[in-house]
Amino acid sequence: MRWTACAGLMIAAALVQVALGAWFDLFGALPNLVLLVVAGIAWTMGPRAGIAWACAGGLLLDLSSPGPLGPHALALLPGAYAIGLWARDVKQPNLWMVALTAAAATLSYSSVLVLTDRLILHEVVPLWMAARLAVGAGLLNAALAPLVFGQVRSICLGTISRRAQA
Amino acid sequence: MIAAHDPSLVAVSKRTGQVLAAGADARRMLDRTQADIILMPRPQASQHHPRPRPEVAKRPSASPGLFLTLCIAMVLLTMLSQQSWASGAVGAMKSALAPWQGAVTNLGGQIDRVTSVFGDVAALRTENQRLRDADEQLRRQVIELSVAARENASLRQALDLERSSGFRMVAAQVVGRGPDGLSRTLEVDRGTADGVKVGMVVVTGAGLLGRIEEAGPHSAIVQTLADPRTQVEVVLVNSNLQGTLKGGASQMRVAIPNPSGVAVSTGDWVLTSDVGRSYPPGLLVGEVVNVTHDAGSTTDSAALAWVNDPARATFVLVITDFAPS
Repeated sequence: MRWTACAGLMIAAALVQVALGAWFDLFGALPNLVLLVVAGIAWTMGPRAGIAWACAGGLLLDLSSPGPLGPHALALLPGAYAIGLWARDVKQPNLWMVALTAAAATLSYSSVLVLTDRLILHEVVPLWMAARLAVGAGLLNAALAPLVFGQVRSICLGTISRRAQA
Repeated sequence: MIAAHDPSLVAVSKRTGQVLAAGADARRMLDRTQADIILMPRPQASQHHPRPRPEVAKRPSASPGLFLTLCIAMVLLTMLSQQSWASGAVGAMKSALAPWQGAVTNLGGQIDRVTSVFGDVAALRTENQRLRDADEQLRRQVIELSVAARENASLRQALDLERSSGFRMVAAQVVGRGPDGLSRTLEVDRGTADGVKVGMVVVTGAGLLGRIEEAGPHSAIVQTLADPRTQVEVVLVNSNLQGTLKGGASQMRVAIPNPSGVAVSTGDWVLTSDVGRSYPPGLLVGEVVNVTHDAGSTTDSAALAWVNDPARATFVLVITDFAPS
């Protein structure tokens, strides 16, 4: 049940991001809903679930972007793992923690994407432009993270508690 | 009587719930017919609830092995899936997602239409959009007339309507956009099955939009002018200077070699040029809104306003019979 809920959430986030992402465009920066859902899952269910869903969400993004499969999944992994590790030592994260980790995960995601482009795909996006877009996206993601985290937490923990009651 | 000697019985006050006596004493108290006393079994040691053991939350495993394995797997997948033998399978998988993206895009469009009915602000936005579309149409007509006049004046009669409008084109709907902020791409619902190939030029009624970067059987990905990797050779209509446009997420910029110091003015129109033959010449690209001239340099830099904002594109045309050199 929890698996189904997470899968539904991830597919919805990926489709909304690729189909309606332009609605959220702010000075050229776009939020990353899949990254926010992955961060929420890592906070709620720990590093193992975080990296598993980072792979799934990343591959969904890879399917709707140019180039090979894998870079987005690879880019989401470090952030998800780091958040999951921190979540093990935090009983109840506050909203600042959630926002901060979302921003940090965005920067890590963008850095890995740019590195992958340079090292594996040999495509060069100007660094200053990548940095500007990454910082913009990080701020947007930090603003949206508490909202998305609440939804992810209620969906994942809701299914856990329903299962426990049954 | 046997029960009365049973030390397991206790006398309890009904009113206060207090235990008053145990065993035979309890039995004797009941015999005195005190109305508020009852006999009840003594709680056994075994009946005591065990002290709840404090719950210790299970700490999730750190799983560094799984993390490293997945990282290596994704690097391998990235390297393998860009091999030529894997392109068919990757293209098919990407095409499979396109109808879902189209459905969500349509749903989003309908939601947008419904919500725009409410309120004056939404009505004004619709009106603004209509005027903007009309303005774009008029601007395009103005620039076409301007180009025609310039070329007629130089007796070349090179307006060449057949070249500017005689291309074969495939209409396609935009079903998705690049998921990350770095590469500004669009996904359209036409692919190799419809004659769309990598490298083909994509336009809209307003002008140039980009180029096909990847093509699957039933979908294709367009690298737009907003993509930082985009480079287009362009010409400025009024000053007749050539330059190189570089894409940008929020604004396009043109580097214009200008050793003779010709004044580049705002409002000048920028078209694709003949240089390189990467794009059909004469396609409208943008309008100069800001010019930066460095005294120590022979190259001007101009910022362009969109005439064809990729973020707003919903339908595009793919030119299928132009072969870039």
